Amino acid sequence: MKSLTLDRASFWYAATQSPALRAVSLDVAQGEVVALVGALGAGASTLLLVAADLAPRVIGGRLEGSMTRRDRSGIVLPTPWTQISGMAFTVWDEVAFGPANLGWPTHEIARQVNRALERLELLPLASRDPATLSGGELQRVIIAAILAMDPGLVLFDEPAAELDAAGAAMLWQLIRVLAREGKAVLLATSAVDALPDVADRVVWLEDGAVRAVGTPDLLADGAACDAGLGTSIATVWRAGGLPAPYPLTVAHAVRGRP
Amino acid sequence: MTGVRLHPFTLLTIAAVLPALAWILPAPDGAAATLVVALVLTLTPGAKLTPGASPGNASLWSFPGWRPGLVRLRTAVVTAAPFWLFLLLLHDVPTTIAIGLRVTTMVATFVWLVAALDPARLVEAMVAAGWSASVAYLLAATFSAVPVLKARAQRIVEAQRCRGLSPRGGIPARLRALRALALPLVLSALHEVDERALALETRGLVPGIRRTPLAPPPDPAAERAARWALLLVCLVALVRRFIVQPFS
Amino acid sequence: MSIRLLALIPVATAISLALSAAVDAVALPLFLDTTGTILATALAGPGVGIATGIVTSAVNTLRNPTFWPFVVVQIIVALYAWVAARAGLFRSFRTAIPAGLGLGVIASLTSTPISYFVFGCTTTGGIALATALGKALGLPPLGACFFGSFVSDFGDKAATFALVTSVLHGLPRRTAARFPWALRAMGAA
Repeated sequence: MKSLTLDRASFWYAATQSPALRAVSLDVAQGEVVALVGALGAGASTLLLVAADLAPRVIGGRLEGSMTRRDRSGIVLPTPWTQISGMAFTVWDEVAFGPANLGWPTHEIARQVNRALERLELLPLASRDPATLSGGELQRVIIAAILAMDPGLVLFDEPAAELDAAGAAMLWQLIRVLAREGKAVLLATSAVDALPDVADRVVWLEDGAVRAVGTPDLLADGAACDAGLGTSIATVWRAGGLPAPYPLTVAHAVRGRP
Repeated sequence: MTGVRLHPFTLLTIAAVLPALAWILPAPDGAAATLVVALVLTLTPGAKLTPGASPGNASLWSFPGWRPGLVRLRTAVVTAAPFWLFLLLLHDVPTTIAIGLRVTTMVATFVWLVAALDPARLVEAMVAAGWSASVAYLLAATFSAVPVLKARAQRIVEAQRCRGLSPRGGIPARLRALRALALPLVLSALHEVDERALALETRGLVPGIRRTPLAPPPDPAAERAARWALLLVCLVALVRRFIVQPFS
Repeated sequence: MSIRLLALIPVATAISLALSAAVDAVALPLFLDTTGTILATALAGPGVGIATGIVTSAVNTLRNPTFWPFVVVQIIVALYAWVAARAGLFRSFRTAIPAGLGLGVIASLTSTPISYFVFGCTTTGGIALATALGKALGLPPLGACFFGSFVSDFGDKAATFALVTSVLHGLPRRTAARFPWALRAMGAA
């Protein structure tokens, strides 16, 4: 079942002439993880804002084509400190902010908040003041805050940027769990090495348009390596002058298959 | 936190009524009486010293007993002292005493209010009372945005000091230096407005929502009655002062 | 009010309060404590500007309770800035600085009666000293009080208008266009 469908969607920010998205068609099914990759400014963040129904509804601008969603969405934006509600003085209340705004009964709020805190390994921090947390801790709080609202479509914009290696590994595993539970996940990331284990499909954006769509094998493709989007091992393989096809992950290289 | 915890609205009512009475009641006796009440409140043990104090600070000030009260009293006196000095410089002694007592009442009441009022409880109380979530947001978000931007301003100042900024030179040079400090601060803050708005929107803070109060502070009937009584006292004092005995 | 304009208010308030660090660093006799109010008005109109002024006064009050009665001045500043924005006076320093000087006069006219009747004209150190100077020059009490307010407000409001003009022109057009009033305040639409 499709959770999100974009049909030839083009988007212009206010007071700009050239579109930030050009005729993008894409769908994300329930239980599927789709990753957006591309250079800075390729349109991945814009696409997420359109999918979240925040552009043009909240930030203005103009959309052509169509965007349809079946589920309520939640988006995790890149900088955690701008996403703190400012209305909560403990981590628990910060995570409960969204569910409370949905008007849920108190017991349901408590259940969802505790579950989200546990998933992001935040229970020990539950009574801390969000203003005293590190960037990585804050990022996990924001992710928990979105998941506590139980969105059917989860959108992530560079979710691992503030996380350390252990935190990032936890997040990638969690994203697979979310998909198994039937959520649709659309994520933009520059951490392409994680994608072979996380994403079902990869969408390569260039200058606001879809350049290629495929399995994560796309990230071992010669053209992707040229654009700086190849996985580390594929890039090294290629730089070493070894023949194509390039291996996608270290495991692939060791097993001797591309 | 020890002692009685009043409802946030009760705290606000007291903080509004006391200074109002200080100005309404005839000087100097009225203001002297309100000042005594304000100073007693300031000395009440138990309330915390600053809103949103970090846990590190809180442990220092949550020292049981009279110490926090004395610290608050000192804050009130230090804030009010310059007024007395300038009043004496500009006015005769009776006027100095009249205005000085009023200003000191106001200062002491607010020092107490800042210590006693927990912003989180106020936000909860406002939501529970049916205020728009937007109004509660304005209050709470400002509390959390101010220290963030102050810290950033301090970092910008320090970075510019490393690059040779000094408070010397003529006025035009200093104005240029001020612009170099202020512009990056203001522009970076404005760039964040969009992301703040998007984050609030995705987390359901939209106009007209019916938000679930998470932990509404208890508001006993006695306290509600006391609030109305205080406002009534204020009104009666106002009527007496300006209608019944206008020249006393 | 949209969430975007709502989110502007705490940020604009924090700007007003955080700028004191910059002012201290260059040792100028300015406050810049109406920057957020004027900026919010120029970006988003009078409602947002007035709300910013009220919130700024409320937060200032927690720091120093004698600020509260001057909330009236913040509201007048927002209304004046709205008129200036409608006329596009933030288009350059040549138009913004005279407009700021005009606000200096209006702001001191507003703050004088508050300062005089509520506090006997002793609100802050600088104003009280200037008032004492005015008294020494032989001005009557209310006149000395106005003199004190005027001396401290005049340069401050002109500097604030100049700063807001710099900020508006420093915003990328794409960002400015997302605020309903920004382009008009700059005389660009």
